[in-house]
Amino acid sequence: MQLAVNIVVLSAIYALIACGYVLIYRVSRVLNLAHGELMMMGAYVLLATASSFVGSPVVAIAAAVVLSLVVGILIYVLLMRKMTGEMVLAAVLTTVALGILLRGMIVLIWSAQQQYPSQALGFENPAIALPGGGRISLFAAILVLVTTLVYAGLFVFLRFGRWGVRMRAAGQNPLLAAQRGINLHAIYALAWGLSTLTGSMAGMLIALDQGLTSSMTIIGLKAFPAALVGGLDSLVGALTGALIIGAAEVLSIQYIDPLLSDVVPFLVLIAMLIVRPWGLFGTREELDRV
Amino acid sequence: MRSLIVVAAALAIGAFSPALAQDAYVVGITAALTGPPASTYAPAVDALRIYIDRVNAAGGINGKKINLIIQDDSAEPSKAAANAKKLLTQDNAVLMLDASLSSTYAPVVAEAKSAGVPLMFASSVCPKEVYPPANEGQFCTTAFASTYDSRAALAFIKETAKEPVRIGFSAMAIPLSRGEIDFAESQTAALGMTAVDKEIIPPPTADYTPFATKIKDANPNWVFSWAPWVTQVRTFEALRRLGWSGDYIAWAHLEAEGELKRIKDNRLYVVGANALFEDRLPIQKEIAEAAEKAGGKYPPEQMTEGWIAGMVIEAALKGAGWPATPAKIQTSMQNLKVDLKGLRGGAIEWTKDNHFRTKQYYRIYKWDGSKVALVKNWFPYDVK
Repeated sequence: MQLAVNIVVLSAIYALIACGYVLIYRVSRVLNLAHGELMMMGAYVLLATASSFVGSPVVAIAAAVVLSLVVGILIYVLLMRKMTGEMVLAAVLTTVALGILLRGMIVLIWSAQQQYPSQALGFENPAIALPGGGRISLFAAILVLVTTLVYAGLFVFLRFGRWGVRMRAAGQNPLLAAQRGINLHAIYALAWGLSTLTGSMAGMLIALDQGLTSSMTIIGLKAFPAALVGGLDSLVGALTGALIIGAAEVLSIQYIDPLLSDVVPFLVLIAMLIVRPWGLFGTREELDRV
Repeated sequence: MRSLIVVAAALAIGAFSPALAQDAYVVGITAALTGPPASTYAPAVDALRIYIDRVNAAGGINGKKINLIIQDDSAEPSKAAANAKKLLTQDNAVLMLDASLSSTYAPVVAEAKSAGVPLMFASSVCPKEVYPPANEGQFCTTAFASTYDSRAALAFIKETAKEPVRIGFSAMAIPLSRGEIDFAESQTAALGMTAVDKEIIPPPTADYTPFATKIKDANPNWVFSWAPWVTQVRTFEALRRLGWSGDYIAWAHLEAEGELKRIKDNRLYVVGANALFEDRLPIQKEIAEAAEKAGGKYPPEQMTEGWIAGMVIEAALKGAGWPATPAKIQTSMQNLKVDLKGLRGGAIEWTKDNHFRTKQYYRIYKWDGSKVALVKNWFPYDVK
């Protein structure tokens, strides 16, 4: 039972992070390599709001969530918008630079010290006993729940929401979408906002569960194979990829060698790239040749 | 004629500028100020900076200031190598420091050796080259020491355990942490303990529960971890969340004192060689005041390691006189005794053959329900 819980929790972490990669890629074909840093920044923003709204944890969390959305939109408006019309590679390199900048800024502002947002918010993180003998911490359970709600919300939004349909249209054919009066810049800004929001929520929940250090960004990188395995432009793919990577990692720790857990996601990724380079649910036609 | 003058002037500038620029003791440091284990190293470097600033404000050493040049290597060997090359060849450092992961040692040692500059490990684990018979150019002030730490932790477990010891181990997937835990595991049989599991955990990991699950499934009554703090504490907390109620002993890194207060678990022990601030020594008060005055980014209790490094650098440079050359500093370091005023169980004493210390003292602390309490007072090991 505990094994199943461990797989679900790790997969939920990767899925929540991976959907951020997918949201931006499917709309603009830009691979956001600063996603790990943006996730970490979300957690540090929560730390900042926790100390600003002492005694009001709900307000602190709400403020952190709203700020994350705003940061994502601002990144598009102030930085990525300038890359419109440039090569996709240039935009990707811009995200690399953004990641380096964010890493440096975070250490300068908050230092390299281990931080505990849950302590700042006055939260406990008790373990919950599950039927079958498994145990899960409160914040890990919330993370699983939030991941489920985020994916359900995104499916509904993209399928039935006006802006969701516009996002899909912009992703499928930006020229045609623009000719039909869709404001592409608004759509891209929304995609960046939502991506940063979901990534930040992952960062906040991981930090609430385990604490926060400036190395969290690497977890963002470890979720990247999940998005690739599933197919970079598919949310169903991101969910499936996260489950595959999470299961492979936990099972390798339990039955093979804990050291393999670091390598297994990338082994799965390489295998997928050889067999099906566009991922399990990705769109074959949209891939550029190397 | 004019071109001759220009060439002569250029030669003169080329020949004399390093000496002119070198009107201070240049000390270079490559450190993990960012990256996964930064929380273990960055506070020490901050403390060292505050200490050196204080020395400079008081007039320097032998009438000369210390120019401390700090470079971040993010705990990456390639960056550490580039930092060392820059510090040694461009900045002309006369003393090189490494405050980073053990994986950075090889390239930094190679650069320091080729430049003929003494290398001091400060807040990063002491490599075997500083133990007798020591490598002539390598020195270490850091509290933690491979093999001795495991011996101290295992000796404490043996003396404390009331029932047969089934011990689990946790390490980070870096060379020295793995090596130390392998060493500890090799000692268990001779001590009458049973090693039941060993987890080598990659840095960093999204969730420590799968590793903790495996340790818990092996049913240990003790777990020993010797790794950067993040691995030690997150494994412990994951074990507790899984309902494991055994005893856990970990190395007392800089974060230990604050973390014992946060976790408040009276079966979490830390073994270390530095006195915790709970002792309220006069020098600890001095550190706290200096940190506050300098606007240090870290709590004073995380500054001991860097402060000790500063004390040793001050003594080494004092002994080398002025003008200082790497050779003179190395000679000074090979015959050095620094009274640490209670920050450790004894002085740092270096000889020609021993660049670690002649005696290594340990203490054990834990949370006793109301405060961080001393469980076992200084107990020494002769370093031979």
